[in-house]
Amino acid sequence: MKVFIHVFLFLCTLAVLLPLVNLLAVSLTDPAYAHLMDGLDLWPKKFSLFTYEVLLKNRLIAGGLLNSVFITAAGTLLNLLLTTMAAYVIARNDFYGKGLVVFFLIVILVFEPGLIPEYLLVKELGLINTYAVLILYKGINVYYLFIMMRYFQDVPNELLEAARIDGAGHLRIYAQVMLPLSKAGIATLGLFYGVFHWNEYFRSMIYISDQRKWPLQVVLRQFVIRQDNATILGGYEHLFGGTIVDFDALQAGTIIIAIVPLLLLYPMILKYYAKGAMEGGVKE
Amino acid sequence: MKVLKRLRQDWVLYAMLAPPLAYFVVFHVIPILGMRLAFQDYRIIGDNVWVGTKHFEVLFSSPAFLNVLRNTVIISAMKMILGFPVPILLAILINEVTQRHFRKYVQSVVYLPHFLSWVVIAGIWIKLLSPSEGAVNLIADFLGLPTVDYMTSKDHIRWVFVVSEIWRSAGWDSIIYLAAIMSISPALYEAAKIDGATRLQSMIHITLPQIVGTIVTVFILNLGFFMSAGFDQVFNMMNDAVISVADILDTYVYRIGIVNGQFAYSTAASLFKGVIGIVLILGTHFTSKRLTGRGLW
Repeated sequence: MKVFIHVFLFLCTLAVLLPLVNLLAVSLTDPAYAHLMDGLDLWPKKFSLFTYEVLLKNRLIAGGLLNSVFITAAGTLLNLLLTTMAAYVIARNDFYGKGLVVFFLIVILVFEPGLIPEYLLVKELGLINTYAVLILYKGINVYYLFIMMRYFQDVPNELLEAARIDGAGHLRIYAQVMLPLSKAGIATLGLFYGVFHWNEYFRSMIYISDQRKWPLQVVLRQFVIRQDNATILGGYEHLFGGTIVDFDALQAGTIIIAIVPLLLLYPMILKYYAKGAMEGGVKE
Repeated sequence: MKVLKRLRQDWVLYAMLAPPLAYFVVFHVIPILGMRLAFQDYRIIGDNVWVGTKHFEVLFSSPAFLNVLRNTVIISAMKMILGFPVPILLAILINEVTQRHFRKYVQSVVYLPHFLSWVVIAGIWIKLLSPSEGAVNLIADFLGLPTVDYMTSKDHIRWVFVVSEIWRSAGWDSIIYLAAIMSISPALYEAAKIDGATRLQSMIHITLPQIVGTIVTVFILNLGFFMSAGFDQVFNMMNDAVISVADILDTYVYRIGIVNGQFAYSTAASLFKGVIGIVLILGTHFTSKRLTGRGLW
């Protein structure tokens, strides 16, 4: 029984890992040998970083990577600022109108605006083809706001009281007491928002037609899912500096590039995100 | 007067609340009010014209819409029936692992796909299921089974949705069950052990009954999102060959609205979905609160 469970769980982990290892192996194979690689190969036939050299010199892919980093960083910072400000206010019990604000937030939570009215609004605001729409979009998530509120409520009241007696106003208490004492909460929410921005593709696809502003996910979609080699690699489809390229290897490499930043953050994700998600579901 | 005094005293608080609230008004309230477009005809110049329920009448007599509705229900139901038990089973099995490092390894790996975008996952699965080079067909071929082009097969695409959804979510979704299992009192298991119960008997007669509350909550709350059927997944995995069996409400709204520019008609379709969604979410929230004390908020 025990052995069976261990073997089964180990197979589950292989089902997750092997497809990724296969893509990594394909992307690290010399393009001249890449056609010999198939879905079962887990090791490069002839090791080479050439595929990544091509990808990172590609205007759309390197540009997309930079765009994604920028949008994720700026978006997450704005999200955190707005969310913590709102959470600071509604975490206070002495705040007049709290019930009304919470009711409003729950209405927001239940009523999702439809795609078309949002599209027309973005158009009217003149935000089409701007980074602004990608940074502003989903600026605050109501669930996350409630989670942040609980982190703030965990800060002992005596500390806030002490700060107030020392003459600190709300802005000071927020910036110099609440935020430093809620680092775990901020890390959790930062990861929630960061992963959301990094993985966002749909709004970027609709609102951004200028390819130079595409985030990586949109480039990836165009390349791997829509198989649009011409857009991604331009006129020199089969050649790079006189060497033949391999599309399977390039696609595999693009997928890997989109995953790597998440893997770098994964230890932190496991530490904070999982805990935060569990508390979000379990508390209350 | 008292109110005014408090407002004056706490004006900083209201000032801090202003930017987030302004954000909600602009990006949520205005587009929600914009849903009235469902009862209008869109005009590029000048005001839109009220047309009553015209778009809904067209919608409900349109075979394309009814087909989309059917697909949504079928795909959602398949995912729910087949996908729902998997994380429960996974949590029970993970809980049986006592070796700390192996347990941590399993958890870290099975949570991972939850953090990948559906664009990435669709890319991985398109490669995995490729008829000529994909691992699945290579293995099938090796075993003497027929090879299939799953992504373009109308008989298989919905199964691809179900299996890839499990691949992505089962690990992550097991967290909540694992938390419930870990809060079961060890005394129960010890008592059972003394009475001569096997491990399997303990699982069935102690673990399962103890987490039934959590199972019911999660099931009810999932029902609230029934009409969504997983837009990002379907949108990235669907292609023209399978559109008749794969197209769901949200992909339909996107296509007729954004691609074809039928703004008002598309808004009617999304309002229909939205209203059912709200009824389901409110219904499931209050049912869950009543039965288990836990809701969406």
